[in-house]
This record gives sequence, C-alpha cells and structure tokens, in this order.
Amino acid sequence: MTTDQESGRRDNGPQVVVRLDGVHKEYGDTKALDGMSLEIRAGEAVAVMGPSGCGKSTLLNMVAGLDRPTSGLVEVAGQDLGQLNETGLALFRRRHIGMIFQFFNLIDDLPALDNVALAAQLTGTSARQARRRALELLDELGIADRGNTYPAALSGGERQRVAVARALMNRPALLLADEPTGALDSRSGEQVMDLLIDLNQIGQTLLLVTHDRHLADRCASRLIEVADGRVARESALEPTG
Amino acid sequence: MSAVWRASRAAVKRRRLQTIVIGLVVLCSTTTVLLALALVSAASAPFDKAFDRQRGAHTVAAFDLAKASETQLARTARRPGVEAAAGPFGQTVLEMPGDWLWMSAGSVTVVGRDGPDGPVDRVRLLEGRWATAPGEIVVAWPVDGSPGPGLLGTRLTPRGAPALTVVGFATSMSRSAGAWVSPEQMRALHPADAQMLYRFTGSPAEEQLRTGLARATAELPADSLTASQSYLTLKRAFSSQVDAYLPFMTLFGVLGLLVSVLIVGNVVSGAVVSGHRHIGVLKSLGFTPNQVVAVYLTMVSVPALVGCVTGVLIGDAAAGAVLRLAFTGIETGSASIGIGPWPSVVCLVGMPALVVLAALVPALRAHRLSAARAITAGSAPRTGRGLRVQHRLSGTRLPRAVSLGLGQPFARPGRTALTLAAIVLGVTTVTLTTGLTSTMVAYANVGESQGAGQVHVQAGSPANDQKARRLSDRQTEERLRSLPGADRVTARALAKVRLAGHTETSYANFFRGDTQDLAAGVVEGHWPARAGEAAVGPAFLSRHGLTVGDRITVQLSGRQTRVTIVGELMAGDSQALDSNWQTLARLAPRTQATEYTVRLARGTDARAYTDAVEAADPGLYPTLTHANNTVTTTVVGFASVFTLLLTVVAALGVFNTVLLNVRERRRDLGMLKSIGMTPRQVVVMTVTSVAGPGAIGGLLGIPLGIVAHRVLVDNIGVISFPESMKDVWHVPHLAALALAGVTIAVLGALIPARSAARLTIATVLHNE
Repeated sequence: MTTDQESGRRDNGPQVVVRLDGVHKEYGDTKALDGMSLEIRAGEAVAVMGPSGCGKSTLLNMVAGLDRPTSGLVEVAGQDLGQLNETGLALFRRRHIGMIFQFFNLIDDLPALDNVALAAQLTGTSARQARRRALELLDELGIADRGNTYPAALSGGERQRVAVARALMNRPALLLADEPTGALDSRSGEQVMDLLIDLNQIGQTLLLVTHDRHLADRCASRLIEVADGRVARESALEPTG
Repeated sequence: MSAVWRASRAAVKRRRLQTIVIGLVVLCSTTTVLLALALVSAASAPFDKAFDRQRGAHTVAAFDLAKASETQLARTARRPGVEAAAGPFGQTVLEMPGDWLWMSAGSVTVVGRDGPDGPVDRVRLLEGRWATAPGEIVVAWPVDGSPGPGLLGTRLTPRGAPALTVVGFATSMSRSAGAWVSPEQMRALHPADAQMLYRFTGSPAEEQLRTGLARATAELPADSLTASQSYLTLKRAFSSQVDAYLPFMTLFGVLGLLVSVLIVGNVVSGAVVSGHRHIGVLKSLGFTPNQVVAVYLTMVSVPALVGCVTGVLIGDAAAGAVLRLAFTGIETGSASIGIGPWPSVVCLVGMPALVVLAALVPALRAHRLSAARAITAGSAPRTGRGLRVQHRLSGTRLPRAVSLGLGQPFARPGRTALTLAAIVLGVTTVTLTTGLTSTMVAYANVGESQGAGQVHVQAGSPANDQKARRLSDRQTEERLRSLPGADRVTARALAKVRLAGHTETSYANFFRGDTQDLAAGVVEGHWPARAGEAAVGPAFLSRHGLTVGDRITVQLSGRQTRVTIVGELMAGDSQALDSNWQTLARLAPRTQATEYTVRLARGTDARAYTDAVEAADPGLYPTLTHANNTVTTTVVGFASVFTLLLTVVAALGVFNTVLLNVRERRRDLGMLKSIGMTPRQVVVMTVTSVAGPGAIGGLLGIPLGIVAHRVLVDNIGVISFPESMKDVWHVPHLAALALAGVTIAVLGALIPARSAARLTIATVLHNE
C-alpha cells in the first residue's frame, strides 16, 4: 500500500463503516480486485476513480453485498458480509445500504411516490407509513409535487432525485452512488451534486464511483484512485461545493 | 439470405431455453391434436373403404321361398334404382350343438354361393379355398386378420344336417352370412329362404334404402320379404364403440387444440416481443425490415418444426395403441384399423402454419419499429394500462412482494389474457377428468361385492383340453352354494342367437340364481323377471334402433320366442341381450349353464373357496374375479393421457410467460434486490404474478369442466349413467379443484421464479 493509504487510516475518530482487507475478486482468468484494502469512516464522502475496468464497480458491488469476493474481508457497518447468505445480504442491504445508479433504475409501472415507498414496504412498513415518509423525502428533495408522476414523465434530474429518495428511505448507514450524474445534463448533474453535498453535510456517509473529477472534487472529502484492482493512490480533497 | 440464416441461428443458440420451450409446446400440442384427429379418422374411413372395395351390399334381404320363386327374386335385380344385385342364394340356419371353432353353441346363417366374387358383396377369402363340393363349408372370420390355416379341415356337425368340413375362412363387409356352402350343398339342406344382395345408386341414406328396397320388391308377393339388413346398421355397429368415445375424444381434441393455439401463440409472440432490443441491433446493422421479420420467423420456425415432426412421430406411435383399445371387440371385418395419413399431414402443415401466423403479428410490429426506439425500449413498450391497478395495489396491506406480483399481469394484459385462457382450459380439463374418473369408478364398482371377493367358476370343456365336470349343471350350482363362504351364486348360459330381421351375429346371456347384483345395473325399467323378458345395454338399443318396451324375436335351436325389452342396463355389449332361465327354457330347454359367479360373504378367504371348488369337482375351474372394465379403463386412460398432455402444455405456457416476464424485468428485479428484496420475496412476487391468473382460471375453469362432464356422461353411447353417478361434485372436491389453476400456474412459475431469485444483481444493473 502507498504511504497515502497509510495516512488515510486513523485509529481514533469516527466509527469505521466500510473495511476491505486484502480483497481479491476473480472472474475466470480476469482479476477484478487484487488484494484491495481500504476503510471508510462514518460521515466521510469518498470518491473512487480510475480507468474503465480497473475494478471500481466491482468494489462498489462488494461493499453493497451484490457480489462476493474470491477471498479477503469485506466488513460494512460492523458486519462481515462473507458470513451472510443471499437472504442475509438482502436484509443487510435493506437496513444499511442505499444505492443510486447512473440510469436511476426506477420501476416504470410505479409513480415516483410508490417507487420511493417501495424500499420501506419491503421491510414490512405499512403502505400508509411508507408513503408518508416517502412524501417527506420527496419534499426535502424539492419534488413533492411529482409524487404521482410516472418515471417516464420525469426529467433525468427528477428521476435521480427520486432514486436518491428511495436510497434514503430506510435511513442507510452508507449511500453508494455509481456514476450518479453520468446520465444527466450539466444542470441536472449540478443539482444532484448539491443534493449529495447536503446529505453528507448532515452526516450521511457517501461512497461515490465516478469518472467525473468535477463530481469527486465537489462532493468528496477523500479520493481513492484504483488501478488494476488495487488502491493506487489515496488523497484528501477539499470539497468545493 | 445467409445473413438472415446466420442471425436466426445465433438467436436460436442464444435463447436455448426459449427455443426448447417452443419446441416442447409444439410437440405436446401436436401429439394431442394428432391423437384426437386419428380417432375421428379411424371411426369412419376404414369401413367406407373396405365396404367399397368389396362392393358391399347396401341391403341384404331374405325372402321366403314358399312365397316368392327364385325367378321372381332374380327379376328384382332389374328394377329401377337397383344399381347391382346378386342372388338369389339359398339361405338356411344351422344349429351348432356345442362349441365350434372359436364360437359357442348356437345358430349360424349359411348361404349357398358358387364363389366369393360377384357384382355385389365380393367376399374376401382369407384362408383355404371356396366350398365347391358337398360337405364343404367356408366360415366367416369376423375381425381383422386371419384365423390361420390351422383350423382348416375341422369337421362341423350341425344338428339335423350332414357333417361339413371347413375348407376356407372368408370375410364379408356386408355380413351377408356366418358361413357359405356350394349351391349344390345348399340344395341338399333344403333352404326355406333365399338371399338377395342389392346395391342402390349413390350412397343411400336410411330412407332411400327403404324406398329402394320397396321399389325392388314391389312385384313380389306380400310378406315374401322376411328380413332385411341395412349397411348403415353395419356401419353404426362398426363405429359404435368409437362413437361412444367420440364425444369426449372430440372434446379433449378441441380443448387440446385451443390450449395449443393459445400457448403456441403466446410463446411465439412472446419470443418476438421480448426481442425488441435485438431487433433494434439488427436494424442498426443494416438488416431491412423484411430481413428482420425473416430472422424472427426462422428463429421460431426451427424449434417449432422439430417439435411438430417429433410430435407427429410420437402421436403416430401412440395412436396405434389408442385405436387398438378403442376398437377392442369390434367386428372390423376386412377393414384395417390404423391412422390414415391425413391427420399427420394436417398436423405437419397446420402446426407450423399456426406458429408462423402467431409469430407474424408481432414480427410485423417489429417490422415497423424504428431501430432507435427498439434499442431504447429493450422490449415492446408497455401500454400504460394497468398502472392505476399497480398504484392501488401498492397502497394495500398486502406484503409488498405479493402486491407487486399481483400487479404484474396488468403490465402485459394481452399476454396475461392468453395465459389465463390456457389455465382456464387446463383447469377445465382437470375438472372434467376428475369428474369423469369419479363417474367411471362408481360405474365400475356397481355389482362389485363391496369388499367381499367374487369367484368366477367355469365348467371344464374337453374341447379345450380341460376335464369334463362330474356334477350336472344344477348339482354344480348347489355345491357352489353349499361351500363355506358362498353368499350369492348366479349361473349363466351363453348362446349365439339370431334376431329376426337381422343377419348379424347376436348373443344371449341367460341367468339363473341370485341376480340382485345384475339387477343393480338396470337404469331404466327392471331386470327380466318373467319368461320372454330381456334387459340390454344402451349400445344394443342404439345399434338395433330399439327402446325399452320394444319386442324382438329371438331364434335359437330352430325355435323362436318373442322377447320384450323390459330394462336398460347401464352398459352392455352392442350384440348381447340378458335374459333369464325361463326364456331359455322356451328356446333350448336342455341347455346347461357353464359359468357361475359366486359372491363371497365378507371376510371369506377367496383362495380357500377356490380350493374347495377344485376339490369338489376337478372339472370346475374357479378364478378370482378382478374388475376389468374395458370402457372404464379406456375412458379413464384416454382422459388421463389428454389431461397430462394439456396440463403440461398449460404449465409450459405459464413457464414461458414467467420466463419472458423475468427477462423483461431483469433490471427491475436487480433494483429490487439491490434495495433489499430477499430471494424468498422474489420467488413470492414471481409466483404471485401468475397465481392471480391461476386462481381466476380455477374459478372459471371449474364450472366449464362441470358442464363438459355433464355433456360427456350424457353422451357416452355405451353407458347410461344413473343420476347418482353423474352427481360427483362435492365441496371438498371442488375446493381441491379450485387449487388446480393455482397449482398449474405455480408449477409453471417455480423454475423461472427461482432463477429470478438467483439473478446476479451486479451484472443486471450494470449491463442494463
């Protein structure tokens, strides 16, 4: 590991939310992750950057429990994900992880409000309570009036806000964002960036995977550069937002 | 063209599962349709063909030679309307005192002819040669095939006539005689009657036959015509058993056809609809709209063609066994029972045509779709209908996985409607089959000894290399009755009889003793209690055009008696009537019973009873009776085969629908899993998406199945079911059936649901 990475570890301070230790992931002969180790503490906003195929998305999948490492430890919110089966991982994601995708991944058949409420309803929350909380979130994100609109009729920025609301529905310990502005025009992209900054400022831990240096600079306090499945460089950033 | 072929081949390879589903659905559907068509084909064509080949007689008429001379009879051949005629041939009835050849004692109609050929009724010689000299006889072989040369040379000793040597076996589709002798021999037998064989112009119906015969015999003295037999009666007799099965075979065939059309349409159109992104890619590569249509038609035609050909091969192989079962015991004469080529041709042409037609509609939509839109949409754009339903469901108290599943059918209403229709038909079939099985089992249990055993005792016959019994008929009955464990004993004598006005073979069962069990089988009227009474099955009534209350004249051993049909049995042979010992006494008083049925008291050791019978008289051959009801076996067998086929087809249809839905919703599934939907919830959601239509299908299919059951049991020609056997529906039974739709749906959905649960989220979300 580099010196930069060594300096990124702090023994005292906020609780560690994400810990990867010597994580390997192989797809056949291809090594996607090659002994990756890192830590993310509560309240941090970390951006992961690197060239295509360097292992950024694999890293995100490991942290979200969407994929399993070939070897190594993946610990999120104090839970070793390797100990969980598929159902355990689903329940874990439900409680601790919120995800935002480049292409929003909203359900076309449901209006914005139901899309957001869905995450809580899966945990058994009643429809009424879930909708009330969803409406609050949409209101906080400035799109309460679009609650009954179907995704097809929303702008890109609005769709991503709905996706953010859905990700925040169960008050996750960690918000994962995979190219959250990649499919948006610059104005909508800026709005989503502002939103992420606001969330981080109120204590939301954030892990961003992006190609966009501007997004990293604006939203993240730390930058992890990945190359060939390893952390190549780690550096602190001064948020410009 | 090579680009189209290459793209199609690649698509087939890439969609292996879908290709297999299309192939399997077409295979099962083809087999179902082919079996139904085979029976329809076999029921009519063989008789017509064989009848025409032999220039069969439209009417076989017998005349009293005391009233009409041979010259007068010969003149009738030239009367208007008569296309061709043969005769007059001398005709008499010989009485066989004991078992002869493969037949039991009784009467046989013998005709004197100088050869098998002629303008009408060209008798086909199967073995040996024609009878040309006195003392020779040719015997009619009633079924397909031949008795072989082994029985040639057998000497027959009819009562009151010289011995005759069998020199040949022959078959006549006109059933003009039971045996033939030379004219010289016939003259020696002093025939009282003469036979004329007529063919009338065209293919006359019953009315024209009556008119034609009346015109032909107009110049003959009154009452000279003693009997006439229409070829239509023979044709009805030929297909009577098949006719009995035909209503339900037709119903199953129609159900099979409907389910097949729906599922094939659904599967094939689904394959095209789900491939919209692929269509966009093809178009962007430079494929013309027509080439895209060609790719998709080829893609579905390849597995469909393989499934169709395999289905035809399996259907052809199975049809043989099905037809053999259907024609068991029917006098087919020289008509060969087999599946003609047309059902196979219809299936080979019709099924691929259906598949292409089903694919054409969505393929033409693909033809019009712009490349950009196709690529963006990924699958066919949703119509937006049903969105409100989804919204309402999300507000209910149902678990979210369930409400999401319930809402899915509304996203693709067309596909859901086709799947629902297939489930409805599947449930209809299951309901129909369970009802039919209950009815047939109840029918089979009638006369059974309600838990106690039943023993059949046959008197030994030296002709069959058995010991002759020591006890007389009456002594045998008494001994059987006195043995420990005997509860009821029935004695039976079987005789081959003639019915006045009919030349075809008939049989009579004469019963004595405890006939309560037999009486239980009467559905209309009563069991024959007095002399001159008989009970017959529905097949006998329809074959002879009779009803309960009608009278017939039964001839045996040179005597005849008038018999009133006083009861209709639930079932019975179309050629046999049941009567009592008093009636037999009028016809052949010295006849002895040779078969006895003993119903044992409950708890009796049946094996000990049969041992006791053998010890009492080694010339008695007891066997334990096992229920062996051909009709029950046939109906339940056919019904089960069709139900299995249709259920598999319906489940495959559901399987395909769910598979398509899962593929189309991969991105949604990935997202749902990413926000915490557990694998179990994915399975619940996916299964619920078809359980709804399954439940509705169950509720709609049950009444349809009940109606179909009623229609069938009212139309199985060989059995008249009493109301108690038709009323087979009870609440627990119906409740179980209501689950049939859900079961079919769940069975079809389970595999794709589990594959959806195992979907790798990361791949889906990053690739979509």
